[in-house]
Parts: sequence; structure tokens; C-alpha cells
Amino acid sequence: MTGITTLGAVALIVGPTLFSAPTKPFAVGLVGPSAQALAPTLLAAAKASGVDMTTVNVSDDATASSELTPKQTSGQGGGLLSSLRGGSATLDVALRLDTGSATIEFYQTVSPTLAAVLRAVVEEVHQQDVLTQAGVSPSVIGALQQPEPITTAILKTASSDLAGRRIAALAAGILLFFSVGIFCNAVASGVAQEKTSRTAEVLLAAVTPSDLMTGKVIGIGLVGFAQMAVTIGAALLANAIVQSSLVPSEVWVLLPAILLWFVLGYTLFAFGYAAAGAMVARQEEVQSVGMPFTVFLVGGYLLMYATIASPDAPWVRVVSFIPPLMPALMPARLALGQVAIWEMPVAILIMLASIYGMARLAGRIYATSLVRGGPRLSWIAALRPR
Amino acid sequence: MLEISELSQRFGDRVAVDKLSLTVSRGEIVGLVGRNGAGKTTTMRAVMGIYRPLGGSITWSGHPVALSDRLRFGYMPEERGLYPQMRVLDQIAYFARLHGVELPAARSEAQLWLKRLGLEGRELDRVVALSHGNQQRVQLAVALVYQPELLVLDEPFAGLDPSAVDSLSEVLRAETARGTAVLFSSHQLDLVERLCDRVVILEQGKVLVSGTLDELRARSPQRLRVRVATSADWTANLKGVEVISKDPLGVLLAVTPGMDTQAVLRQAMAAGSVEQFGLETGGLVELYRQLVRN
Repeated sequence: MTGITTLGAVALIVGPTLFSAPTKPFAVGLVGPSAQALAPTLLAAAKASGVDMTTVNVSDDATASSELTPKQTSGQGGGLLSSLRGGSATLDVALRLDTGSATIEFYQTVSPTLAAVLRAVVEEVHQQDVLTQAGVSPSVIGALQQPEPITTAILKTASSDLAGRRIAALAAGILLFFSVGIFCNAVASGVAQEKTSRTAEVLLAAVTPSDLMTGKVIGIGLVGFAQMAVTIGAALLANAIVQSSLVPSEVWVLLPAILLWFVLGYTLFAFGYAAAGAMVARQEEVQSVGMPFTVFLVGGYLLMYATIASPDAPWVRVVSFIPPLMPALMPARLALGQVAIWEMPVAILIMLASIYGMARLAGRIYATSLVRGGPRLSWIAALRPR
Repeated sequence: MLEISELSQRFGDRVAVDKLSLTVSRGEIVGLVGRNGAGKTTTMRAVMGIYRPLGGSITWSGHPVALSDRLRFGYMPEERGLYPQMRVLDQIAYFARLHGVELPAARSEAQLWLKRLGLEGRELDRVVALSHGNQQRVQLAVALVYQPELLVLDEPFAGLDPSAVDSLSEVLRAETARGTAVLFSSHQLDLVERLCDRVVILEQGKVLVSGTLDELRARSPQRLRVRVATSADWTANLKGVEVISKDPLGVLLAVTPGMDTQAVLRQAMAAGSVEQFGLETGGLVELYRQLVRN
């Protein structure tokens, strides 16, 4: 189980990097001496715009067209991938300058950034020619072409940052939902098995019911925590090796919060599921008896999506303080930067109080239900003292 | 010594045990007998702390039974309780560990009991793969592996073949010789009579009668066995006498207070040659039947 989830996490991070071909600089074919004279200016402009580019001198249009056309390499590995990326053409774009006009030639598509760089350089050269012919001194032309210093002030989070935070919130929510769900079901199944196989009766001769229940919750919880730690650790290591661009940095900042809310959420639900497991008459009834807790678990998971969509909605803040929904919603709100400083300690305190209450209630149900024979118990019957 | 005093327990409106008292001394086997629902299992579960009794007390060596005492009690519930998927040796060692035995000792003791109970070679089998009888042996090993001071066994002989019954009987005798107190329930009265030092008969949660086997036999109803060499039904003329049974060994008559046995003898002699005429004392079975009937 741990191996599968760990392999899955590592594959998600490493996979895209492994299967994507390495990026290569854009090759710009310069047709004719006029265009070729622009090579230094083009390279400087590309560098300033963050575009990785090389120039190739091309003798004529026919050669340029030929070099722009992808050459299919059937029978060789990587053919499909290279076709998807535009084939194995030598040039990405060709530039030709004539008197009074310029031509940018490409095969099907061209990078908009690259096209913008080429246009800007051609226009700049054209303006320079016109101004020189009009008798404007080179110093004035130089001053005109110096860009105005501009200061950028960001008043609101940029959309790319928000996207990263949303991915982080989603990853945390999914990880918590599946981890809490899987390990709480393991608690319920374990308790139900001990009840239906009557092993509980032998165990209770040596252990108190509350110790037995708490031991099961802690034992399975530790396994779950260790599994999460191994999975996250492996993902961290994989990311450190491949430097995946798919993993937003916000995910790693959230790690302590994910582990904290796993512990709190798992403990709250695990006590509930332990009580549910003690009420069954047959192992197959575990799912139906545990339904009230599953509703909250799934409800929290679904509300997590609504939280990501509108994290600053007042109702989201209110709902995120409902104890069984907290483990799903608080990490999401935290990832989206919507949790005020006072909210986290208050949420943790509410959660701890809820866990205490749930443990007491579950302990009572567990002690009265575990050695009770007959049909499945209702919640009312299980709460009634014997 | 285990001392149960005035134990009371009810489930809803149903009284399961009503002011029940009994004792089990070290080195003694006490049999609990009674029909289904008489309170045997409830009593044993209360001793093992599975139920907290509504009234009365349970003491061990003079003090109320605590968890630390129960760690030295061996328990075999009526419905067997083992982890079906766990391997036999691991299972027994696990329960030994639960009762405070260190791991190496737990495994070696488990191995020892498997050999003693005829399960050698099955150590690595999963419990679910064993037959009913062998699962029962594993359950017994679970109860014995930590050398308990008190054994509480609920229907330990149910479903066992004769050789397994003999081997379990031997184990119980050996345990009592070691000083272990044994409380067990059974519907097999012949076994109870053969094994127990004392017997407690329960009915509707109360002790109907208890005592040593000799004491109980003395309370058992007397019968008059008469064998007459005739094919005629000579008992038809007996007035106010209950005929318990008729077979080739003779006629068995219930002896009641004030019964004129000489009149019976005269009737028998009138019917033919009297080959046997004598009083018999009934066993536990007869006493139980009489008590339950009344």
C-alpha cells in the first residue's frame, strides 16, 4: 500500500519530466545579407526578453522553406513526440528583409514571444532608417530608442501565483481525503473483525475497552502517518532531483499543515469509525453503519472544491469551523492565504475539544457494543447503557 | 480462591444472574451446569471483566478482581475468538505477550503448548485453515500459554471428538495439579461428573444446588430396581408408584417418602421369581433432571 502510493506520487512528479523531450533554443533563419546583419541586434533583444534563440544564415528562400518543413523520421524512436512538437525541422522561423518590407515565415505555428521579438527588432531598424534619412542625429535616435524606466507595483496576487496556490490546496485536500478515509476504514474494519470473530471477548479479558479502542486508533494512525511521511518524503526527493515545474512551491510550504490536519482529522473520524465498527453484526455492515461519518468526510471533500473556487466567501469561513469539515477546508483556505492568524489556533482548539468529545462518546458505544451479540445495533441502542 | 458473592446482572428487562454466589479454590475444578440461558456465560464473562456486574462482588485471593489479576486468568469464551488470518504460533504468542510474557518466552511457550495439544507442525498455518477441533485446541493454548492461576472455560468440550475430550481432560487435571483453579461450564454431565471436584447447578440465574459430587449424589433421588422372571406387566397393580423405566434389566421405580417397598416386593413375588430387588442412587444426570423438572 505504502509502496503503491509512494510510487504513484514519484511517478506524478518524475513522469512528465522523463517523458518530455529537452527544450532546445529557437532557430531563426536569416535569409540574405540584410537580415543576417541584424543577427547581433536580434540575439540581444531575444536575451533581454528571456527567449532562448540562435540564428542561422540561410542563402535563399528555397533553402529557408525547406529547412522550415518538418522531416518525418519514421522508424526512429521519438518520431511521434518530435512530430507533436513541430517535427524535426531545422528552423523554427525564417526572416527576410527587403527594401521597405520584411517577411517572417514559419511552418504552421510560431512562438508568439519569438514573433514579437522579431517584429520589435524589424520595426526598430525600420524607424532608425526612416529617422536617419530624415536627418535626425544618431544621438537623438539613440535617446528615442532608450526605454522609459517603468516601476511595476503589484496590487493583487498575480493569476499565476493564485493558480499555484489552487493546485496546492487541491493536492492537500485530495491527499487528506484519501488518507483519512483509507485509514479510518481500516479502523472500522479492524474493530468489526474483532467483534464478529469474537476475538474482542478474549482481548477484553486483558485490556480495558478504552485502551483497546485507543490502541487501535493510535496504531493504525501511526501506520497512516508513517505512510504519508514516506510518500511526501519520496515526492520531495523526486522533486529535488527532477526540479519538476508541475509542483508549485506552495505545496511544500503546506506540508506541516497537511500532517497536522491529517493527525487531527484522522483522530476525530477514527474514533467515530471505531464506534461504528463495534455496532455491526457482520463485517459487511461496516460501510452502512459508518455512513454518518462518511457523509461528513465526502461532504468536506466536495466543499473543498467550493472553497478553492471562492476562498474569500463568508460562508466558506463559517463552514470551515465545523469540526468534521475542518480537516478538508482549513488546509485549502490556508493554501489560498485566506486564514487569519487567530483562526488557526482557534480551529485547532475546537478540533481538540471535538476529538475529546468524540473519544468519550465512541468509548461508551464501543464498550457496550463490542461484546453484544444479536443484530446490528442502532445508534440509540448503542448509546443506551446496558 | 475465586469468590463470587451475590452477583447480579440484567440485560434490559431480562434477569441474567440473580444474587449468585460460588467459590473456586486453587487446585479445584468446579463445573457450572444449567440449561441455556441459566446464567453460566454471564457469570464467566463477569469474572473476566467483560461485563461490569450490576450487583455483588467478585474477589480473587481476598481482593476485588482487578485487571492485573485478570492478566493471570486464562479464558476460553463460548464462541471462540481468534484472528482468522493470523498464523497459529503468532496468535498464541500474541496473546501471551498481551498477558505480560516477554517475546522469546511467549514464542517458546506457544511452541510447547502446540506440541502438548497435538498441533505440532501447524505453527505456520493460518487459524482459518484449521478444522473446528484444531481451532478449539488453539483457543485452549491461548488460554494456557501464560500459565494462568485461574482458568475460566465456557463449554470447552463442545464439538470435540472423544480423543480430544480425553486430551483436554488430561490437561485440566495437570493444570489443577499445578495449583490452578478451574471453572468450566458444560452440558455434558457425564464429563462434569468425571472431572469436577464440585458442581454448581444454575437455573434462571440462581444457584439451584451446589456441592461436591458425593454431596450431590446423596441428594440424588433413590430408585428401586426390581427384576422379575416374567413376561407379564406386573407393575400395573402397583398403586401410587411412579415407574421411571422398563428394560431387560428390570423395572426402575421412583422412591417416594412413605413408600411401602415391602408391598412392592410382595407384588413382584406374586408375579414370578424375583431376580433383583434393591435401591439405587442416581447420578448427576438424575439429580439435574429432577431439579430442573421441579
